[in-house]
Amino acid sequence: MDVKVPDSNQGAIILSVIDFILSFGIISGIGFILALFPLLNRFWKVDEEALRRGEH
Amino acid sequence: MLDLIGNFFGAMAEQTGLLHLWWGNIVMMVVGAAMIYLGVAKRYEPLLLIGIGFACIVSNVPDSVLIQPGGLFNYAYKGVGALILPPLVFFGVGAMTDFGPMIANPKLVLLGAAAHLGIFVALIGAKAIGFSINEAGAIGIIGGADGPMAIFMSVKLAPQLLPQISVAAYSYMALMPLIQPPVMRLLTTREERLIEMRQMRQVSRLEKMVFPVVIAIVVNLLLPPVAPLITMLALGNLFKEVLVVDRLAKTAANEVMNVTIITLTLAIGSTMEANHFLTFKTIEVLVLGLIAFMVGTGSGVVGAKIMNLFLREKINPLLGSAGIASVPIAARVAHIVALEENPQNFLIYHAMGPNLAGVFGTAISGGIMLALLVPVT
Repeated sequence: MDVKVPDSNQGAIILSVIDFILSFGIISGIGFILALFPLLNRFWKVDEEALRRGEH
Repeated sequence: MLDLIGNFFGAMAEQTGLLHLWWGNIVMMVVGAAMIYLGVAKRYEPLLLIGIGFACIVSNVPDSVLIQPGGLFNYAYKGVGALILPPLVFFGVGAMTDFGPMIANPKLVLLGAAAHLGIFVALIGAKAIGFSINEAGAIGIIGGADGPMAIFMSVKLAPQLLPQISVAAYSYMALMPLIQPPVMRLLTTREERLIEMRQMRQVSRLEKMVFPVVIAIVVNLLLPPVAPLITMLALGNLFKEVLVVDRLAKTAANEVMNVTIITLTLAIGSTMEANHFLTFKTIEVLVLGLIAFMVGTGSGVVGAKIMNLFLREKINPLLGSAGIASVPIAARVAHIVALEENPQNFLIYHAMGPNLAGVFGTAISGGIMLALLVPVT
């Protein structure tokens, strides 16, 4: 189904409301994923010095 | 004999642009010269303004071969039109950026969405004054304060407005230290501006390595129209953070970035021909762009104040204005305004969080727009 926003003032308002709300939703999801990042440190650790020594 | 010589001189004059010069060309040459002056004497975004200004001057020499099909600047524009150059800019930006502040304080990413209300106010305003919905969308994205994104959206939705949109976006980014502070002071009290932020946690190397991979997956999954930009941002950042391909990261941040900026600025400047630029539409776009910036600054600050209603540990509302994507200018402005109230209140690292989130906020807004509108290219 290919539904596009109509080229009208109403369409502009609909697009803006949907876009603004969806932006918040998606960026909240990204924020939620970032909030889980500290868990990574429980399972793995990166030896920075070893990485720097082996740099190319 | 004299007739023949006269004919020869006439033919010579005709193949030059002299006969087609009009006052609009002179005006745009002055605009180009002003850009070069601002870049050199005032140090306003010299990396951008000098190239744009120079190409603007040359493109307003009538019949300049450089801007015609097959001309050098025309080929530079093809890189913009083929949407190769904006992702390469993001590639370099990713290789120069530390996303630690954004990872360290995830709740501040909400400000990267809050500060984009200006995009939609400009979009609705543009449609109301007669632009098409596609043009309105491209104009609205100026409010995201992201130059490559503005170019990307303009090429996709309204290539005929590329010169106006790119000039507005980059000009207002350079003028943010003038545009933002009055709005920020109007919407905050002195007590709020004095709020100090707690030191953020240390972000590990592992987190910084995982971040670009996760972001690339999320954007390709949810927002394929803007995936080229964010994917290249992620790749550049991955090169930087893995520490084992330092020369690739340095190449991305330096040589690739420099060549891309040179080509991009020539391409933008070459579209600033008087016939296309000296129109009432240009003024409308510039005004709408300014409105988008100011409303975005305000909505970011208000967004932070709304967050404070739910937070025990308050955030400084000035961080909201940094949700506009212009990295690191918006963060620096928030930092400076806070310093004016308290010389010991260093907000820059905290402000980088929403500032970086703003890049994703603009990309998300643009991606949704591209999904709901009919792109031209």
